[in-house]
Order: sequence, then C-alpha cells, then structure tokens
Amino acid sequence: MPNNTAIYGSQFWMQFQRKFVNWSLVRKILSMAIFILFWTILVQFIDYFHQIPTPKAVFLAIFELPVPVVLKNIGISFFRVLGGFFVGVLIGFPVGVAIGYSRILNHLIFPSFEMVRPIPPIAWIPLTVLFFINFESQAIFLTFYGAFFPIVYNTMGGISEVDICLPRAAMSFGVGKKLMLWKVILPAAMPQVFTGMKLAMGFAWILVVAAEMMSNKGGMGYYVWYNHAVMDYPHVVLAMGIIGLCGAICSVGVGVVGNYFTRWQRFV
Amino acid sequence: MVATNQKSEVVFKDVAKGAYSKKLHTVILKDCSLNVEAGKLTVLIGPSGCGKTTVINLIAGYERPDHGEVLMDGQPVSGPNWERLVVFQETALFPWLTCYENVMFGPTARKSISREEAHRETMMLLNKVGLSEFRDKYPVQLSGGMQRRAELARALINKPKVMLMDEPFRGLDAMTRKLMQEYYLRLFEETGCTNLFVTSELEEAIILADKLLVMTNKPSKVRKAIDVDLPRPRDWSIATSERYREIKAEALELLHAEAIKGSVASGKTEIDLKAGFEKLKTARG
Repeated sequence: MPNNTAIYGSQFWMQFQRKFVNWSLVRKILSMAIFILFWTILVQFIDYFHQIPTPKAVFLAIFELPVPVVLKNIGISFFRVLGGFFVGVLIGFPVGVAIGYSRILNHLIFPSFEMVRPIPPIAWIPLTVLFFINFESQAIFLTFYGAFFPIVYNTMGGISEVDICLPRAAMSFGVGKKLMLWKVILPAAMPQVFTGMKLAMGFAWILVVAAEMMSNKGGMGYYVWYNHAVMDYPHVVLAMGIIGLCGAICSVGVGVVGNYFTRWQRFV
Repeated sequence: MVATNQKSEVVFKDVAKGAYSKKLHTVILKDCSLNVEAGKLTVLIGPSGCGKTTVINLIAGYERPDHGEVLMDGQPVSGPNWERLVVFQETALFPWLTCYENVMFGPTARKSISREEAHRETMMLLNKVGLSEFRDKYPVQLSGGMQRRAELARALINKPKVMLMDEPFRGLDAMTRKLMQEYYLRLFEETGCTNLFVTSELEEAIILADKLLVMTNKPSKVRKAIDVDLPRPRDWSIATSERYREIKAEALELLHAEAIKGSVASGKTEIDLKAGFEKLKTARG
C-alpha cells in the first residue's frame, strides 16, 4: 500500500517548487559554477598549471581594463569580420546558388574549389602579403576566405537537395523557369543557407584573430598577443573571453536574420 | 464548389519508359496502354515498385515517354500544366508558405484571376476542407490529414481537368486514412472531375474506384481493367456487400500472381508464398 501522507506531503513540495524554483536556471548556473570551480582547482592545486591566471585574477583584471583601448580594438576586429563576412556572402551566395542550380556550372567550378578547400585558411597568411599591399585588405581577405566556403557549400547543398516535388508542383501551377529559383528553390534552401552563414561567421572570427596576431595593426587578436608579450596573463584570458562574447553576438545576429527568413522553421 | 464542367480523358498508347543511369537500365513501362475515362475515378493498383508513380509523372508531364503516346483529349501531353495536377505521395505543400498562401499559390503564379477572386475562392475552399481556422498555420503545424486536405484545396482552386493522386494517403494512421478516403469520395462525387488514384492498398482501391486497373510487375503494363460497379455515393459499409468481395477476390488473385512473379524474379523461393496463398484461399472459402 502506498503511503498517502507521503504523497500529499510531496505534492505540496512539488507545487512549491513549480511556483518558486526555476530548476532549469539552477542547473545552468550550477554548470557554470562547476566550470569555474574546476578551473580554480586546476590552477591552485596542480603545480603544472600554476602560471595560468585564476578566475579571481581574471575577474579583478576587469577593473583595470583600459576600456577605450579595448573598445577601439573590438571595433577594428568587428570591422574586419563583418567586412570579410559580407564580401563572403556577396560572392559566396550567388556562386553557391549557381553551382547548386546548374549542373554545367557545377562541373566547371566545383572541382577547382575542391582542390583549394582542403588547405586550412590560415596557411594562406604568407601568400596574402603578395596579393594585398596593406594589412586591412589582407585581414579582410582572410576573413572573407574563411567565410566563403561554408557559405558556398551550404548554399549549394541546400539548393541541390530541394525535394523534387516542390519545383514540380510549382511547374504544374504555372511557375516558369525564370521564377522557379526565386519563388521555390531559394525559399526551400534558406534553412541550410543560414546554417552556412552561421558557420561562416565562426570562421571569420577565427581568421581575424589569427591574422591580427601576425601583425601590429590592432584588433582583439593583436590585443591578446600584446598582453602575452608583456606577460599579463589575466588580461590575455579576459581578452579571450571578450573575443568569445563578440563571436557569440555575431552568431546571434546571423541567427536573428536567419529566423526572419525561415519563420516557418520555428514550428518544426 | 469549383465544378469542372469540362471532362477530360487520358489515354496511354503503347507507352514504354525506362530509367537510365550509368550502370543500370531498367524498363519500367512496356506496351502500356490504359484509359483514364472522363469524369470517372480510375484507380491504379499494382505491386510496389511497378511504375505507378511513373504513370503519374508521364500524365503530369514531368517525364516523357520513350515510346508511344500519352494523350489528353486526343492531344499529346507536352509538359506540366495546371490542367493535370498531382497530389504527391508525401506532402508537397510549400513549407515556407502558410496554408492560405499555399492555396493562393496557383492563381497568383498564373495571375489567372484577380486577387480578390482568388482570395474568395481560397477562403471557400479552406472552409470546405475544414481548414479556415488554420489558414495562417504553416504546413509543419498541421497534422497529416490536414496537410492532405490543404493539398487537395491547393490543387482544386486551379480547376484541374484531371486530378492525379499519387498514393496520397500513405503514411496516415488507419483512422485518419479512412476518414480521408470517405472525404475524398464526397469530394469526387461532388466535382465529378476525372481522377486517377494510385495506391497499393486493395481495399482503398475498391472503395474508391469506378474502374480498377491492375498492373503487372516490371516491365509493367495494365494486366486487367476491372469495372467496380458498386453504387454511389459510397461509404465503408459497402465493404460487406457480395460484389465487393467478388471484386476483391479477383483483384487479390491477380495481385498475388504478380507478387509471386516478382519474388521469383528477385530470387526468393516461390513455394512458401504459393502455399500460403492457397491456405488463405481455402480458409476464406
């Protein structure tokens, strides 16, 4: 026999929890707390990691942060990332559409892409010096390069994988060849196009930081490297965190635009 | 209701169609002649993979016959057209458009009628298929049965002369499927436009059909045309009638013969299937 008092007692407790305790939030905070605890233990008690700054040191570094300098560097990095990303969209999206839609163009363009793609973008850094005279264009080229392939490949994939029934149905309803791309193929491919753009944004940040570490022309990558040079490791970690935050903001931005174009996906 | 007064018929004359890839050439249809009568509901049934969808694609104009002719009212079919509309196997509603926008798609794409008129007809059709409350929902928000009804509305607003149903109720649960069949029957009996319905379910086929076309295995042709002279309007109660059982037995025999041939062709043993079928027949009396 079940113990009724126990059940009623626990029911009160359950209702109380449901009203006043947000368990999912508690678990999320717990996750972060465990991360910081783990970090602290690692740095404080394991000799091997003793040079790594503690969470406390990083936290205290916030108050010594040269805000104008950091803001300027954030601005510089943002400019390069967004510049490269938009050039990547501007060129990559049409190219992806072309080689996804036309078999002939695919055969003409795709193999040469496949030759270049396995080269890690960072390996291009020395060569960009030959192409571009100033660092700004070099950095933008590299971020563009990082963004380009994810956009091209995902756009191409999205377009070539559209269910054949959709253009067929549209053909029956009287949609001509010219409007088919605009009215059916592109809307159907949008979710994957934006998957590509999110990836591209991530690559753009990786590339910009790598490029900036190679030079003295500012940006958050340079700021990290500068603090490394002056052995100010709490600030290195803090700058890393700021870069992560910037990347996250950009990713959310792409997500917001993507959600607008793929409203129907919300309900899937 | 958007009644189509003009009734059209579709005729296949010795149609052959193959599928070609680099390694494998398969003949799907060979010497296939059939007749989809005007204003009738013709049901095409056959073993799975026998080229039923190919027949639909040929009539819709998505594919061309390699040999022979596909004629609609005496004119060869030259390409996709709103006169011949397909309701696809799984939903082919445009997922980025709402229910309402999906139904509006045909008229607005062709600009055949004014926007107000299209709107009026869309609302009427959505009302008819019981989706007026769901007009602003996206297809993913609808249940399977609702999606099929939306798709019927999307086709009907174009006043097609021939409706091509490619296993439209596949994947629905048993109850919804039965409801959709009865619903479709009402719709057909009301509009009376030429319908070709493809299915692999015999019971569904008989309950719907004016004429049952039984297809053979690949290379396929129509093995036999059975007249289903059950009274209309119909519902599932006719499944108990004597004539229904006769037709079912006849079609079942043909289908089993084809299924066994198919399994022999693919290298399985014949004995088990044949013995099983005999046992089934004696058990049924």
